[in-house]
Amino acid sequence: MSEKQSLPSFAVLQLSGCAGCEVSLINASEWVEKYQLVYMPLVVSTHAIPDDTEILLVSGGVRNDEDVYNLKRAVEVVDRVIAVGTCAISGGVANLGDRDDVRELFMAQADRHHLPHLLPKSHPVDAFVDVDLYLPGCPPTPELFMAALTGPENFKASSTVCGECGRKKLKDMRPKHLVGFQQGEVLPDICLINQGYLCVGSSTRGGCRAICTRPGHPCVGCRGPSDAYIEKTSDVWFERIQQVFERMTDIPPEEIRDALHSPQLSLFLFQFTDYMNGDRPSRPKEKVL
Amino acid sequence: MTTLRFPLSRIEGHARVEMEIQDGQVVKAQFQAIEMRGFRYFVQGTPAEQMPVITPRICGVCSTAHHVASVKALEDVFEVEPPELAKKIREILLLGQLIQNQATSLFIFTMPDRVGASSIFQMDNTEADPEQRLSLAQRALKVRQVGTHLITLAGGQFIHPVKAVIGGVTSGIKREGADEMLAELEEMLPVACELFDAYWEMSMSMKERIGTWGDDQPAYYIASTGQSRPELNSELIRVLGPDGVERASFRPHLFREYLDYQDTAYSYAGQTSYQGEVLRANSLARINLVNSMGTPCADGYLERLTSTFGKPAHPILLFDLCRGIELVYAFERTIEMLSNDLEYEDTAVPYKVKDGEGYGLVEAPRGPLIHHYTVRDGLIEDAEFIIPTVHNMLAIERALKVAGERYVTEEAISLELEKAVGRVVRAFDPCIACATQ
Repeated sequence: MSEKQSLPSFAVLQLSGCAGCEVSLINASEWVEKYQLVYMPLVVSTHAIPDDTEILLVSGGVRNDEDVYNLKRAVEVVDRVIAVGTCAISGGVANLGDRDDVRELFMAQADRHHLPHLLPKSHPVDAFVDVDLYLPGCPPTPELFMAALTGPENFKASSTVCGECGRKKLKDMRPKHLVGFQQGEVLPDICLINQGYLCVGSSTRGGCRAICTRPGHPCVGCRGPSDAYIEKTSDVWFERIQQVFERMTDIPPEEIRDALHSPQLSLFLFQFTDYMNGDRPSRPKEKVL
Repeated sequence: MTTLRFPLSRIEGHARVEMEIQDGQVVKAQFQAIEMRGFRYFVQGTPAEQMPVITPRICGVCSTAHHVASVKALEDVFEVEPPELAKKIREILLLGQLIQNQATSLFIFTMPDRVGASSIFQMDNTEADPEQRLSLAQRALKVRQVGTHLITLAGGQFIHPVKAVIGGVTSGIKREGADEMLAELEEMLPVACELFDAYWEMSMSMKERIGTWGDDQPAYYIASTGQSRPELNSELIRVLGPDGVERASFRPHLFREYLDYQDTAYSYAGQTSYQGEVLRANSLARINLVNSMGTPCADGYLERLTSTFGKPAHPILLFDLCRGIELVYAFERTIEMLSNDLEYEDTAVPYKVKDGEGYGLVEAPRGPLIHHYTVRDGLIEDAEFIIPTVHNMLAIERALKVAGERYVTEEAISLELEKAVGRVVRAFDPCIACATQ
């Protein structure tokens, strides 16, 4: 036991989320011998984060008043805070709830006795506390988790998902329209944009090793914008995606624009708070893994 | 009156138990799910075709089940029938989910209870066999990773899969990938069995110590599975009476005729019953409803279970042992499936988006999961998620109350009560993220 106690310690605080980040962390089993896991209710029955814990990983969005309390209390006793996953950083898929047309319906459910009170909207973690490192992804891969824990400076990745995908871009295959979101037939080895899919891997942050696009699903941008766009407004990011499609396809620009800006946020479901409403400052790229 | 509140850990999501005690009696036991994100509401207006990517995010533990249920619901709306290959790939996906989940529940969630540890990572020093190259935790994690690798192989992304699509799947499984996976399955099956044997032993010792496999009375059981062997990707939900007689068998669109649903003021999750009777879903329900596992090792374990406890078996700690049987089954069944060709051309049929209503059913690790969508103008007008954990809510509360009675007297409340609460809840392996969405 004494040997284990000298290892660096970390805690995992799960706010309102799906536990996918935690499951990914469990998949990254290499930490078992290198770190001491002091708090993670999913796998450890300890009901408080011990004082002087070195690293706090926070996943999930801030959805209710108990989330706010637990988050603020947790950062008091740790040295370093890492925001993990798209919900903690950008609201994630659950932030689809931040729409006037459904908020009313949603809030009608909120006022129950004996239960944590739901906030009017979901918030990212850094709306309440300072974050030292952002680890976006839905969820981040085990490799990314290990990099965040052991040393982000040594992590090597392409700047975009496109750079890690390996599908060939063809000059003479120019679709005239976007195909449906998910039509079954996908040609192997050929760029999904050439096949008419609304893939945003060309400007989405790399590091995931293109785990969706390689098996044939368009990138939905869960890791957010690459370094080139992360400190800019969403317009610049959208414009860049638009340009890629104009260069590679004959799809009418309005069709792309509509798809990118659809109120139900076609593919940008993961980035809603940051990039559709634009009311939060951007994160400095040095702090994003 | 004394009110005790027990925070819960080693389960998926945020929940707690509240117990009221008066004159040595447990007068109330509530299971409170305390989070909600509102999937049912915020998916309204979403393009229907995006549901298979959005709904896995309901839960990172049960994501594969949501992915497949979502695709099946949309196929029901659009009236398309996927080719055989696609059905096989989806079954493999669900088997991957079963391996991952049952290994997590057995080794990470409940094994520590058998020896009084707070987590499997703390068990290493006391339980590791010095002859073993890898610690107990590492072996358990490796067994569970087999499920993750299988989901990655069949589903693309490793937590929130992407390869099941309306009308089929995006691709089959190449021989090379299948062979690599087979090698891993063959290597890890004996490790899984060895860990499960150890688990069974620890459970027997625990039973000796606490004096029971669970005091709760018999219940009804619900599962979507086959009669002669397990089926995870079937079209029928079955209900078994406490006496072992099958009471109902129905397709998912008829669930309202058989199941009653009610909300409560103290939890974001509701409760289901079958004609007013307490229902149980999850591993024990499936094992009680199926005649054999159809694979050699799993059938060996099943025989051991039935010869000891009969069939249907009712003590709630058997849920845990049944998970082990299913873990072994999922390994063996996947080996069977991957040995066949899974790489032919016909992976999907075309479809047209159209309006209507549809139901998608799968047997998730926690029981039958239904997605029910209404589509208008290609957008989701309403979505309903009928979650297996919700079927277990009344059973969990009844079992908590019964367990409480063992540890509460007029003189004192035993410290063992908190442990009993943990054991009872974990036997049902509830998923709060799913139950509340």
